[in-house]
Amino acid sequence: MAMNKKALQSAIALAGVSAFALTACTGPSGGGTASGSAAGGGTITYGTTDKVVTLDPAGSYDAGSFMVMNQIYPFLLNSKPGTADSTPDIAESASFTSPTEYTVKLKPGLKFANGHALTSSDVKFSIDRVVKIADDNGPASLLGNLASVAVKDDSTVVFTLKAGNDQVFPGVLAANAGPIIDEEVFPADKLMTDDEIVKGKPFAGPYTIESYKKNELVGLKVNPDYQGLLGKPANGGATIKYYADSNNLKLDVQQGNIDVAGRSLTATDAADLEKDSKVKVYKGPGGELRYIVFNFDTMPFGAKAADADPAKALAVRQAMANVVDRDAIASQVYKGTYLPAYSVVPDGFVGAIQPLKEMYGDGSGKPSLEKAKKAFADAGVTAPVTIKLQYNPDHYGKSSGDEYAMIKEQLEKSGLFKVELQSTEWVTYSKDRTADAYPVYQLGWFPDYSDADNYLTPFFVPGNFLKNHYENPAVTDLISKQLTTVDKAERSKVLGEAQTAVAKDLSTLPLLQGAQLMVAGKDVKGVDKTLDASFKTRLGVISK
Amino acid sequence: MTTLIEAPPTDGEGLLPIKKKTSGGGLGRYILIRFFLIFPTILILVTMVFFLMRTTGDPITAALGGRLPPEQLQERITAAGYDRPIFVQYFEYLAQLITGNFGTTLSDNRPVSEMLATYGAATLELTINALLVALAVGIPLGLVAAHRRDKGPDAGLRVFAILCYATPVFFSGLLFKLTFSVWLGWLPVAGRATPANELALTSLASPTGIYWLDAVRSGNMAALADVMAHAVLPALALGLLTAGIFLRLVRTNVIGTLGKDYVEAGRSRGVSEYRLVTKHAYKPALIPIITVMGLQIAVLLGGAVLTETTFEWKGLGFQLATYLTARDFVAVQGIVVLLAVIVAVTNFFVDIVAALIDPRVRY
Repeated sequence: MAMNKKALQSAIALAGVSAFALTACTGPSGGGTASGSAAGGGTITYGTTDKVVTLDPAGSYDAGSFMVMNQIYPFLLNSKPGTADSTPDIAESASFTSPTEYTVKLKPGLKFANGHALTSSDVKFSIDRVVKIADDNGPASLLGNLASVAVKDDSTVVFTLKAGNDQVFPGVLAANAGPIIDEEVFPADKLMTDDEIVKGKPFAGPYTIESYKKNELVGLKVNPDYQGLLGKPANGGATIKYYADSNNLKLDVQQGNIDVAGRSLTATDAADLEKDSKVKVYKGPGGELRYIVFNFDTMPFGAKAADADPAKALAVRQAMANVVDRDAIASQVYKGTYLPAYSVVPDGFVGAIQPLKEMYGDGSGKPSLEKAKKAFADAGVTAPVTIKLQYNPDHYGKSSGDEYAMIKEQLEKSGLFKVELQSTEWVTYSKDRTADAYPVYQLGWFPDYSDADNYLTPFFVPGNFLKNHYENPAVTDLISKQLTTVDKAERSKVLGEAQTAVAKDLSTLPLLQGAQLMVAGKDVKGVDKTLDASFKTRLGVISK
Repeated sequence: MTTLIEAPPTDGEGLLPIKKKTSGGGLGRYILIRFFLIFPTILILVTMVFFLMRTTGDPITAALGGRLPPEQLQERITAAGYDRPIFVQYFEYLAQLITGNFGTTLSDNRPVSEMLATYGAATLELTINALLVALAVGIPLGLVAAHRRDKGPDAGLRVFAILCYATPVFFSGLLFKLTFSVWLGWLPVAGRATPANELALTSLASPTGIYWLDAVRSGNMAALADVMAHAVLPALALGLLTAGIFLRLVRTNVIGTLGKDYVEAGRSRGVSEYRLVTKHAYKPALIPIITVMGLQIAVLLGGAVLTETTFEWKGLGFQLATYLTARDFVAVQGIVVLLAVIVAVTNFFVDIVAALIDPRVRY
C-alpha cells in the first residue's frame, strides 16, 4: 500500500499542468500583444461604453453613433482640432449670400470610398433625407429653420432658411444633421441597416470602416481620398472597442490593451486613474448636461392621464425641482467631477444664466421642503404622488444607478413622492422614451456644437428631440429670436429670457454638468487636441 | 448478471474486466431510440419555454406594460400578433422554428437566428474550454484523492471540490481577474482577444467565430496565443465549477473500484498502486463521468451567462443578460431554445459514447 512517490508526483504534476495548460502556452498577457500589434501598424485603439444606435445619420442623435460618424462621413463644415469654430471641411467655401441663403461650394474631385463621385446632389440628398425621414431618434429637429436645399451646379449647393441670419446654421451643418452620404447607396425615405451601410462603403471622411461588429468592435482604415479640414490622420488606422462594463474599460487602459479610454468612466475610476503612473487623465471643457425629462402626456396629472390637470402636473415638477439636492449628487456620487446645473444651458456658455437657483429651493441652490409642500398645497395635490422614474444603466455610466438611487431617496424623504425606479438598456431605452413609454426619465446631453442654442432648439420647440409633448409659443418665439439676432449682447439677453421661460415651465429638470474626460497610455499623443469645445472625438489626431 | 459484475473476465494480467456484449440489444437500436427521443425532449422544452415566457402576458406587455399608454400598447400588441389565441401563436411559433425562423428581436430588430449564429460560436468556445479545464482538473485530482483516501491530500481535495462547486462564477471570476490581471498582470482582464487580433480574426473571409480555430486556420500564431490568454480566466472560472463535481465523482468511483475483488487480487499479486489506480480502477470509473458530463453541459451553459458577463465574453450568455435587461422576450426565447437543443443533442451523443464504453446501458 505504500505510496509510489513517483506516481504521486506524476499525478499532481498532471493536475497542475492540466489546470494551467492554457496559461502555459499563452506567453505574455494581452497587454503586450495588443500594444505590439497596434504599434506595428501604427493603429490606435479607442475604448468606450457608448453604443451605436445606428450608423444612418437620419436615425440617430446620440453621442455613440455620432462619434463613429465623425470618423467616416464628411461634413460641409467642421471644426479644426483645438477650436469649436465651424469652418469649411469638404467645402471650398461656405457663407451667407443673403440673410436667408447660405451657399456652399464643394472642393473638386471629391469621392466616396466606393468610387462614387461626391457632388452637390449628394449634399441635397443627405440633408433632405434627414428632414423627410424625420425619425424619432434622428436629428431632423436641428434643421427646423431649413426651408429648402437647391443644387446650383455639381459643386454648389444653396440652403434657403426660413428665418434670416441664422447664427447657428453653420454649426448645424457640422453637427448630427450634417454628415454627407452617398445617394446611390442610401434609400431616400427609410433608414438603412448598419451592415448594409458598411457593405455599400458610402464613406468619405478621414476613415472608412474595414470591419464592423456592432457595439463590439469597429475597424477603421485611413481613407486616402479624404481631402477635408482634418487632413491625414496621425495614425495608421483606428479600432473602436465597445465595453459593457466601465471597470473593464478602466482596467484595459491601465494594462495597455487599449490606447485611449473615452466615455464613460466613473468618477471613482477617474480619481483612481489619476494616481496611476502608466496612464494620463485628460480633461476638456465640459458641455455635458444631465437632466430629468417630463413627458407632458404621461407624467402624473399629464394631458393623457385619467386625472389630467396641467396645474397639478406643474406643481409636481416644481416640487421635484425644490426637493432635489444637486450638490449632494455631485459630491457624493460623482466626487466633484460633475457640478450642479441650475439652467438648461450649462454654466460657461455665452448667454448662460442660472434661473433655477433663484426660482427653486432655498434660493442658493439648496433644496427647500417648505417650497415643495407649498407647490403641492397651492395646486391641491395630495401627497404622496407616485413617480415612475426611468433611468439608463449602460449609456450614461455606471454611476447613473447611484445617481438615481439618491434622487429616489431625496424625493421620498420629502414625504411628497413615492418613486418607482426602473432601468432599461440603452438601445431599447432610446426607442421607448420617444414612444411615450417613460413618464419621467433620465437623459444626458452632449452638445453637437458649442453654442447655447444647442441646449434650446433641440429640446423646447415643437416637434423637438425629446418628443415630450411640451409646447410654449412664447418659448418658441424666444428661441427663434436668439437664432437670428446678429448683435451678440442682444442675443445673450434673449438667451437668458429663453432659459428663464423654460425654467418656469420645467419641461426638463437640469441636474448636473460635467467635464470631458479621456484616459490614455503615457505613449499616446494628441488626446488633448480633441478635447475642445466642439465636443467631437476625432481619432485622427491621436497617435503613438 | 450479478456474477458478471462480481467476477468479470479479465485481461492478460487477470485484472481488468473485459467488456462483453449483453443480450440487452444492439447499438443501432439504442442509437435510433435515443435519436427519436431528442424530438419530444426538445418539443417539451420549447413548449415550456414558450408558455413560461408568457406567464406574465405577451412580450410587449411584459416589456412596456404600465409604461406605454393603453391604446399604444394595444396597437403594438396587435401589430405583433400577440392578441391572437395563445395556441394559435404557439403552433405558428413551432412552424417557424421548423423552418429555422426564430423571429425578430424586439429591441434591435434583427433576426434571432442571425444573432444566435453570431454569438453561438463564442459560447461554444467558452463551454469547450471550460469542459477541458473541468476534465483536466477534476479527473487527475480525483485520482489523487482516491489514492490517498482519508489522508491529508484527500481531505484537502474534498474541501477544494466543495469550494469549486459552491463558489459562484461571478465571485471566482472577479477573484481571478483581481489576482491574475490586476495584481499580477499575467492575463488580460476581459474580452476574447485584443482589439487588433479580434479585428484580424473577424475580418477573415469565412470565420467560424471560434477564435482559436480561426487563428489556426489563418496561421496567425500571435493571435492564437492572445486568444488563449484571454480564454484562461473565463475557462477556469466556469470550468472549476464542474471540476469539483468531476473530482468527487472520480474519487468515489475509483474508491469503489479499488475495493473490488479483482483489484484486491492484483494488489496481492504485487501490482503497483499506481498501476492499479491509473489502469484498472480509472477506466471503469470513467463511465458515470461521461454520463454526468452530458448533464454538466447544461450547468456550463447556465454558468456561461455569469462568466460571459463578468469577462465581457460576447456570446449567447452575454446577449441573454443584455436582452433580459431590455425585456426582449423574443430574443430571450430564441437563446433559451437554442441552449435547450444543444443540451438535448449533447446528451444524445454522450449516451452513445456511454453505450459504446459500457454495453450494459443499451436497451
